[in-house]
Amino acid sequence: MFLTKLALKNLARHRNRTLITASIIAFAVFFYLLLDSLIGGMTEMSYEMIINYEAGHLQVVTEEYWEEEEKLPLKNLITPEPELMAAVKNVPGYLGSSAELNFQAMASNGINELPVIGRGINPQDFAGVINFTDYFVEGGMFRAGERRAFGVSPAVIGKRLADLLKVQTGDYLTLLVKDKHETFNSIELEITGVIYTGNPLVNESLVYIPLDVAQEALAVGDQVSKVLVRLENKNRAPGVAKELAGQLQAINPQLAVYSWDQLEAVTVAGAKQMGNRLIMTIILLIAAIAIINTVILSALERMEEIGMMKAMGLQTKEVIYTFVLESTGIGVLGGILGVLLGLAGVGVFTVVGLDFSGIIDMAPYGIPVVGTIYGVWNPFSFVTVFAFGVIVSLFSSILPAYWAADKDPIKAIYPR
Amino acid sequence: MALLEMRGLTKIYDQGKIEVPALRGIDLTVEKGEFTTIFGPSGSGKTTLLNLIGCLDRPTAGTIIFDGQELGGLDKKDLAMIRRHHVGFVFQSYNLIPVLTAYENVEFAIRLVNKYDKKEIRDRVMRILEAVGLAGLENRKPNELSGGQKQRVAIARALVKEPKLVLADEPSANLDSKTSEEVLQVMAKMNRELGTTFIFSTHDPLVMEYARRLIEIRDGQVAKDQRRE
Repeated sequence: MFLTKLALKNLARHRNRTLITASIIAFAVFFYLLLDSLIGGMTEMSYEMIINYEAGHLQVVTEEYWEEEEKLPLKNLITPEPELMAAVKNVPGYLGSSAELNFQAMASNGINELPVIGRGINPQDFAGVINFTDYFVEGGMFRAGERRAFGVSPAVIGKRLADLLKVQTGDYLTLLVKDKHETFNSIELEITGVIYTGNPLVNESLVYIPLDVAQEALAVGDQVSKVLVRLENKNRAPGVAKELAGQLQAINPQLAVYSWDQLEAVTVAGAKQMGNRLIMTIILLIAAIAIINTVILSALERMEEIGMMKAMGLQTKEVIYTFVLESTGIGVLGGILGVLLGLAGVGVFTVVGLDFSGIIDMAPYGIPVVGTIYGVWNPFSFVTVFAFGVIVSLFSSILPAYWAADKDPIKAIYPR
Repeated sequence: MALLEMRGLTKIYDQGKIEVPALRGIDLTVEKGEFTTIFGPSGSGKTTLLNLIGCLDRPTAGTIIFDGQELGGLDKKDLAMIRRHHVGFVFQSYNLIPVLTAYENVEFAIRLVNKYDKKEIRDRVMRILEAVGLAGLENRKPNELSGGQKQRVAIARALVKEPKLVLADEPSANLDSKTSEEVLQVMAKMNRELGTTFIFSTHDPLVMEYARRLIEIRDGQVAKDQRRE
């Protein structure tokens, strides 16, 4: 008990040093919490971007297509038969479904060409899965069966693509495609709407056209690449995917159902999050070095005192205890300070957010987020980082404390 | 009755290629309640002898019997326990803990013994502080005390647990002659009242004046051993 009292009194012995070390820990904890909140928010937001503007909650597709999806092949497609669509519509928490046909194309404005992803959709079904209503910066979504003058098909494109091609609503665009038989074909389009979403892929690369136009130009009959499904709750998607996959086996054994968390973009975002956590752990290890430094400094200047304590009959473990307790006290102080700062910082991040648009374009890093990123509260992080800060302080002091406490008492009493 | 018996006590420091003998076969007996001063020139082995007696170091050869117990076979932990319960130290640089008050510095030593309750600890600490002339200064921290007062705290700390032996290494080295005398009077009083055995190591003639036994060490050997009435 007296050793505990002594350790606590020693905390106030060099107030500045204690405060500086505690501040380093507090900064590490604070920085960790901010990054964690931001990365959590970014990840959550990127998931939402992928779900809301690109992929929905579930995707019904053949396994072979799923494997080669990046190439946007026109083989291994599916036919959205009534039986299949009925099974899809019966899943728990169903909100909507939309069949889509994806293909590679070159978009030409008559002068320049850019590689794009063509997406044939049925606008009514599409609206049940992906809601673009609030994201049109020009025009709007085409209607089912709509054709423009001279039979030209309507199209919706992303804002960034429109800027790159220097086109706007009412302008014409030609998509150069290769159909199922590798024969070149072209689709004449009139832009009826320009969208700007939070998803960079949609803004930069996608051209939405009527599904029947795409199917005809690509000679795939009534086949589609996949069927997207939107549910009430994204957390139920993995379970529903399994259940639906089981039902679809009876209709077509080649069919598979993947939930949003199995998308490559989502796994990449998860992996990036792991990488970021590693960086955050390194930040906390730097705090450990600060503790080690403080304990060594403290031991060096208290060498005669340690010698006296040993002369009084204290054992090595008792001297270690005082140093370790002192460092743990610094860890607790720094942890509390860091958590308080973290509460304020994360609070600001969740309300005000951080606008990345003026700082860095996240799209090249594979993070499908544009604009302001909002932090998320993660109480578990607060608890774990506080505990980690205290534990790091405790463990990082053991070795230097042992080094000091195990000194020969004579050498400690008479250091010179 | 002997508190300490030393036979053939030898200490050789191994300094790389050179071996430096500090003590060369010392034979000494110290009776309980003695007020003894060990003196001699620098490097004669006074402090080494004190360290061996105080269980802070081990001899290269020879034996020490402390209150009937042979120290040679004891491990680090056992030696620490002997220091904790039976030996008090007073050093020239006081070695007080700066974050603790005078009271707490003394309390620390008696708490380690772990055989008194809270009230008894308080009574004993206050009594010893009063005995060394520090009544009313118990709440001062070391930086608020003079050199003499600090040394009195160190003496109180050494005595509060009522050890069998107090070892004082150059206790007056950092004190002026008036303060030295006051401190020595305190220790002589404690020796008379409590019967505690004191062994000093010093160059100071004043300390030698107070001693009832003078042991001169030269070149690691006892050169003179004189008892006074």
